[in-house]
Amino acid sequence: MSEKPVKGERRVFMTGNEVCAWAALAAEADIMYGYPITPQTDIMQYWTRLGPKFGRKFLQTEDEISAGFTTVGGVIAGKRAFSATTGPGNTLFQEPMSMAEMMRIPTVVIIPQRGGPSTATVIYSQQEVTMTTFGGNGEGFRIVYSTAGHQDLYDYTIKAFNTAWKYRFPTFVLGDGYQAKMREPLTIYDPAERGIKMVETEPLVGLPGTPGVDRPAQYLRNTYNTEEELYDVVMDIAKDYEKAAPEIIEWQDFDTDTEMDVLILAHGVVSRSAQGALPLLKDEGIRAGHFRPITLRPMPEEQMRRAAAKAKRILVVESAYGQFLKLVKQSLYGMDKPIDTLLRPGVGVTAEEIVDRIKEGR
Amino acid sequence: MTREEIALAPNMPKCWNPETKPHKFCPGCGHGLALKMLGEAIDELGIQDKVVFGCDIGCSLLSWDFFNLDSVQTHHGRTTPVITGIKRARPEIIGIAYMGDGGGYAIGAQHLVNSATRNEKVTAILINNTNYGMTGGQMAPTTLPGQKTETTPYGRDPEETGYPTLGPEMVASIAREGAYVARGSIANLRQLKKYLKKAIQNQIDGNGFSFVEVMSSCPTNWRTNAKETWSFVEKDMAEYFHVGEFRVPGQKEEK
Amino acid sequence: MRVVEAFVGEYASGKSENAINRSLELLSQNQKVTLVDLDTVEPFYTLRPLKKALQEMGLNVIAWSPEQTMGLGEAGSLLNPEMIWALKNEGSIVLDIGYGVHGAKIFNLIEGADTDPNLQVYAVVSIARPMTATKEDIVRYIKDLGNVDGLINNTHLGSETTPDVIEEGAWVITEAARELGLPVMYTAVCQELADKFANTDKMGNPIKIIRRFMPQAFW
Repeated sequence: MSEKPVKGERRVFMTGNEVCAWAALAAEADIMYGYPITPQTDIMQYWTRLGPKFGRKFLQTEDEISAGFTTVGGVIAGKRAFSATTGPGNTLFQEPMSMAEMMRIPTVVIIPQRGGPSTATVIYSQQEVTMTTFGGNGEGFRIVYSTAGHQDLYDYTIKAFNTAWKYRFPTFVLGDGYQAKMREPLTIYDPAERGIKMVETEPLVGLPGTPGVDRPAQYLRNTYNTEEELYDVVMDIAKDYEKAAPEIIEWQDFDTDTEMDVLILAHGVVSRSAQGALPLLKDEGIRAGHFRPITLRPMPEEQMRRAAAKAKRILVVESAYGQFLKLVKQSLYGMDKPIDTLLRPGVGVTAEEIVDRIKEGR
Repeated sequence: MTREEIALAPNMPKCWNPETKPHKFCPGCGHGLALKMLGEAIDELGIQDKVVFGCDIGCSLLSWDFFNLDSVQTHHGRTTPVITGIKRARPEIIGIAYMGDGGGYAIGAQHLVNSATRNEKVTAILINNTNYGMTGGQMAPTTLPGQKTETTPYGRDPEETGYPTLGPEMVASIAREGAYVARGSIANLRQLKKYLKKAIQNQIDGNGFSFVEVMSSCPTNWRTNAKETWSFVEKDMAEYFHVGEFRVPGQKEEK
Repeated sequence: MRVVEAFVGEYASGKSENAINRSLELLSQNQKVTLVDLDTVEPFYTLRPLKKALQEMGLNVIAWSPEQTMGLGEAGSLLNPEMIWALKNEGSIVLDIGYGVHGAKIFNLIEGADTDPNLQVYAVVSIARPMTATKEDIVRYIKDLGNVDGLINNTHLGSETTPDVIEEGAWVITEAARELGLPVMYTAVCQELADKFANTDKMGNPIKIIRRFMPQAFW
């Protein structure tokens, strides 16, 4: 057995991309497939340096469509395969990811979001929410974790492998360019030391024995003949997803146990600004709370509604033009709550800006 | 540029846009030389009013406002199809697709292959500097065996990742009669300009697909001084990539 | 006599912070100082937002400024021509150099680096970075870097840094330095912790108080 890349646990200082590479190593990922695109290229650069020391593999593919399909291939062969992409690369990934959705293939993909649409900027945004949560064709069921910092990136990259393989849905770690490049301390650890056992992988093809002789041949497909057949397939997947959802959803709430003047809804790194806004608002005599979904799919709807019920108004804050807002409205449907917005596509949001927005909305 | 700067400016092709000069390519970059030869070719053919210039992502992106030509910056690898689309809709336009190793041989390979097999009447120019420069120096399809890049930190192992792509050879073998395919080098600018002119003239004559690969330099990512840079282009790269014309309309196929 | 110093090291080890502080130190000694951002891995994201502020303090800063990077889309390793000729500037020069896979070969891109009699290369090391956490790792890492004239202990955990963290770094790095036969130039301590230290750390290395600028930089 190869040496463990992370032994015990240690407090370290790194950039977010580096964190992802270390987390994948600690999670015993076997192989990474990828294509360069800023700002996630460092993940594969760290992987190519560190991976060989621990017997891990890598392939730089010809593009992101290939990176996605080779990742699918690695997973059906029974290995912990993962990739990382962003922006236009994420767009290309939707085709292979829709295959993973239909066939219940547990891929893991890390997405440090950049500006969009098209090439836009290489820097930051929260503009890939719609695509990362619902980007495939058809009713795709997938799991999306939205991280807010380095400890999250480490914890959820490891968790992504387990969630994916346990429940068999393609899983995404949705970060952003700021998290990817900024530096902060975190604790890296060997998952085993924390009682986290990596879910066993199993191949869908290349099983031992001779097909047709020792065992039936495995026939994998993603096409169906009749509408009725498709209906049954999709409804089955939906049922499994809805059954698993309560075990998968994660969220954080801050000061939402009492009546609030305003409930701030934000995810990812913007949540940090929302958290920073709370004491400032308190000083101004405004009773504010903050609900942060960690899983954007499945969305912790019930929990969000419970928090929203106690607030007079809702403020949705995101570095996009309404992508998270759409998910919020879907979750809060039927609740008669006024919703204000602070939408800053491609631009970071500070705690002060949230405070100002709330004060001006009064 | 200020009036003083214009007065002191070196000779530039007429179709260059002086307002975006000095350009942003790194010192020692081969793009500047290739674009100069392309500019002179366009001047000498007198087609400044007919050309639409497409560029890819990566360092070729820096050429988006380089010329006084209508230009379009496309997505990575998609310059060939965008220019093909323009040409098909408006055949009187001279479409030039300008890209790097990734844009033509990796993500853009399928478009290069299909444009060649359909004999699209466009001119594709590919700058080969054996790495992905703009994103920080990762491996490219043209990276040489043993070459260190950010995704081959221990040197490219051809057993693991294959040998450098021989693009013009591939295009030459699948293209139809009427195609023009060549590989030039910044180490021989006169020859390079000749190839570029022929590649564009081939489109003007309506013969077929025209493709020129340009062996070029990237001292920034190669981390080479001037002497080492030229040596890499003229010796190391020349071991794998041979200069010459691989398909010329009317002539029998060269090996 | 003019000072020519290059601060090299692992990505996010603290090169830029130390380079900026050194430049301002030299400036306060009434020298003419040029600070060069030669980080080809993150060229636009290190000194860029600070450039104006540092210039207003009197430094000559060679780095791309935000207006110049308009239209550059995919950020990358673009070399500003002024960087190639950086050593031809009068006065002292401080270089903030990001190494990629080619390590010290980046000096090939700086005219005169191979012949400059004053050039000193200092490797900035932090044991909070997992790849340079132990003596063995550091020794191997420095040997791979090529020519290095001294080490700098910049061990820290951002806002969580404590004196113990810094001293642990001092210990490990000094041990590595001894094995390499190199001096430890100093141990960096941020202003907030200055009063917890005397003139030297527990290993006898001089302490240098560092003002933090990088939090105002892009990342």
